[in-house]
Amino acid sequence: MTVTDTELVRQGSDRTTEYALQVSDLRKSFGGVAAVNGATFGIEKGTITGLIGPNGAGKSTVVNLISGSITPDSGSVKLNGEDITGLEPHEIGRKGLIRTFQISREYPEMTVLENLIVSAKDNPGEKLFNVMFRPKLGKRRDAELVQKALETLLTFGLYPLRNEYAANLSGGQKRLLELSRAVMAEPTVLLLDEPMAGVNPALIEKLGEHIVELNQKFGTTFVLVEHNLEIVEKICSEVVVVALGATLAVGTMAELRKNKAVVDAYLGGDVHERVGS
Amino acid sequence: MTVILGYAATILIFFFTYNIFTLGLNIQFGYAGILNFTVITFMAVGGYVSAVLVMPHADTANGIYYILGLGLPWPIAALGGVLASGLLGLLIGQIALRRLRSDYLAIVTLATGTLLYGLAGNVTSMFDGWQGLFNVPQPFAGFRNWTPLGYSIFFVIMAGIIFGLLWLFANRLYKSPLGRVMRAVRDDQDVVEAFGKNTFRIRMTAMVIGCMYIGVGGVLTIAYITALSPAGWTTGETFVVWAALLVGGRANNLGAVVGSFLVAVVFNESTRYLPQMPSHPNLIPDIRYILIGLAVILTIWFRPQGVIPERKNTFYEVPLGKDVNAKPGQTSLEADLAKVGE
Amino acid sequence: MSLFFLTLGFGLVTASVLSLLSVGLSLQFGVTNFVNFAYGSYLSAGMLFTWTFATKLHFPFVIAALAGVIFTSLLAVIVNEIVFEPFSKRRKSIFYMLIVTFGLSLVLDSVLQIFYGVGFEKFPITQSEALHIGPFDFTVVQLWIIAVAILSMIVIHLLLTRTSLGKQMRAMSDNPELAKISGVDTRTVTRSTWALSGALAGLGGVVLALNTVVFQTTTGDDLLFVIFAAVILGGIGQTYGAMLGALVIGIVTEVSAVWVSSAYKQDVAFLILVVMLLVRPQGIIPAQGKA
Repeated sequence: MTVTDTELVRQGSDRTTEYALQVSDLRKSFGGVAAVNGATFGIEKGTITGLIGPNGAGKSTVVNLISGSITPDSGSVKLNGEDITGLEPHEIGRKGLIRTFQISREYPEMTVLENLIVSAKDNPGEKLFNVMFRPKLGKRRDAELVQKALETLLTFGLYPLRNEYAANLSGGQKRLLELSRAVMAEPTVLLLDEPMAGVNPALIEKLGEHIVELNQKFGTTFVLVEHNLEIVEKICSEVVVVALGATLAVGTMAELRKNKAVVDAYLGGDVHERVGS
Repeated sequence: MTVILGYAATILIFFFTYNIFTLGLNIQFGYAGILNFTVITFMAVGGYVSAVLVMPHADTANGIYYILGLGLPWPIAALGGVLASGLLGLLIGQIALRRLRSDYLAIVTLATGTLLYGLAGNVTSMFDGWQGLFNVPQPFAGFRNWTPLGYSIFFVIMAGIIFGLLWLFANRLYKSPLGRVMRAVRDDQDVVEAFGKNTFRIRMTAMVIGCMYIGVGGVLTIAYITALSPAGWTTGETFVVWAALLVGGRANNLGAVVGSFLVAVVFNESTRYLPQMPSHPNLIPDIRYILIGLAVILTIWFRPQGVIPERKNTFYEVPLGKDVNAKPGQTSLEADLAKVGE
Repeated sequence: MSLFFLTLGFGLVTASVLSLLSVGLSLQFGVTNFVNFAYGSYLSAGMLFTWTFATKLHFPFVIAALAGVIFTSLLAVIVNEIVFEPFSKRRKSIFYMLIVTFGLSLVLDSVLQIFYGVGFEKFPITQSEALHIGPFDFTVVQLWIIAVAILSMIVIHLLLTRTSLGKQMRAMSDNPELAKISGVDTRTVTRSTWALSGALAGLGGVVLALNTVVFQTTTGDDLLFVIFAAVILGGIGQTYGAMLGALVIGIVTEVSAVWVSSAYKQDVAFLILVVMLLVRPQGIIPAQGKA
């Protein structure tokens, strides 16, 4: 479904565009300093969109505002057309927007398999009443989730490590774990905060492939906050540039590279080296 | 012989009640990462409330004051004590579990403990002040004509059954999806929240269940020794439970039992009979607390997982079968699967 | 009306005592990022050390107090070197740090009790008669307490704003990662912070003992959550917030005696703590990333 949508946008007709995420005029300041200052952008359903910008541009704050970790001073966030501004993080998560964190944050004292199982939504066994009086419900759901988790781990190459404590994984394996854990929650929008940070080039490639595969298989919308422009160019159909807490430009990487404001603010001199074109 | 049996019964009852305290703290800290720095206050609330429900009207003519005095049957009074303990946990949770750092909860629990300790002691009309409650009727004492030893043995069996039931439930909770998500909250609350789960509700559940467990321990304590005064629930006693949990091994109920045995039985009983020095009547209790404090600090330093560490949880897996080999683009890790399948 | 001014006067004295104590706790929290539950023991140590110097060694009181403060400061530094520093290096989990400080309070209290017993002690100074100053009645000792507190707050302010050490402490408090990168010697700063925190606990302990006249080994722990209340009220980790929190808690708890029995002073402090946590948990002056 998404291919045609994307093409329509490229042709300049956005009438049929369905947005997974709409951010309008978001503002947040800390102690009088504006961290986010009117960020506005829309992310189409089923796309992989990059969110880039120089350090301190307010990308992380934007992620925290969207996911509800902090509440905006003004502006709004819509998820699949529904206003989610100011909701609690878990309410936003339940509505299908799952975020990851800049530093990979696994549950260290739980096994890889448990990390996945615990991330699925709506396990009836998480209700105290069911634990006390209907334990079968939780057990049955667990059995389903174990199989689903095993299959997911297989896809991500973590299957042999399924009974290892998550704390014992390598940095790259933790990144794969985060992504596979997110899959378990069946998100409609997956907001990845620097998923490639501190990862070796071979694995970056692999993570990118996984993202594309998930996007095609489940139609999950991806928002990627990323510094590695090479991978952004490779997998993102559209890129949002944030600078000084506001949206500077939106377009494909190729278009952005021609945009003087973007080049001055972010891409700068070494762009050709980094993007490799 | 009777003396030895009576002593053994008393030790067993202490063992069971400490086990219950430790299981309660384990649900709070071991499962959900909640720092309850006033375990003993929940014991006291459970004990006091059950006592004033089971006792007859206060004999104010003889200078004994306490609230209620309803003379209810023991099982109902016991339930009242446990619920009161849970309610206090709920109130503290409402104040301190809402997206605050773990320090705040620790501070609020400690503050509540100090406050209630002072209130229980100073407000004589509540629980007879510093003198405390005594002559609390024992459960099922009029059931038959017990010999003292016979009653002790009966009490051991009752405490044992209650402990057994609580143990089974604690284990069921641990293995349940709810217990799993509690442990996830312990490991990283923000992530659980981001995955659409209400961490406040999850932590609150652990808090209240834990407090009710501790309340059960309090109910049994006052029912057996038939008296309780503020002197019996100082901050140091909270730490004895912490020591039992951490030395035994947190997040593992078997560890909680081993810890309760080591700390509440072996350590407590072996220090009980040390010679008292008349010039320093507090020397022995002080040395006990120093040792308990050091035991915890050294455990965290040398063996943070405790004597019996948390078990690794594995699951029954239906073999993925030929799907395993059918996946395209196998990685080197996946190549190991050939072995796993057989 | 006179009762109001009388209690307001008490409030100013209590606020002075609390300001020393809450600034000491808050400074250390800001730099090390964990709450020290053994702080009450430091406070007790301060008054008891002073008592030893004054009554056993017969030092003049001011010298004895000075020695008490220095010894408490040393205690804080030593405890940090042999316990907190190794633990924070090895084990990041805040759970364990808090349990360690909690366990340490039990150990220190028990050690103090072995040496000093459980009875009440008293400094060998004579309580002077009250002086009338405007609508207030103050004893000379109370005036000294207020003067010591104001002077200390000025010194702390100058330390934090004018000296390199103070600036580094603030930098670590605001953003430890950034402070480390920009060349702050975190180890020295941490050590100095503990020295300062211990000194303030000791000084606060001495003036507290002057104010309450009699004291025992548990006096420090009894006041601990009132200090917490002041610190949380002001915004945990915020030095000026702690001063403000101490002022509010000190005055409100004392003036409340006009309406409720003064036996419930602590309960009033607890009530403020609870309301604050429900309404504005980040405190009057919030510190970023610490609530």
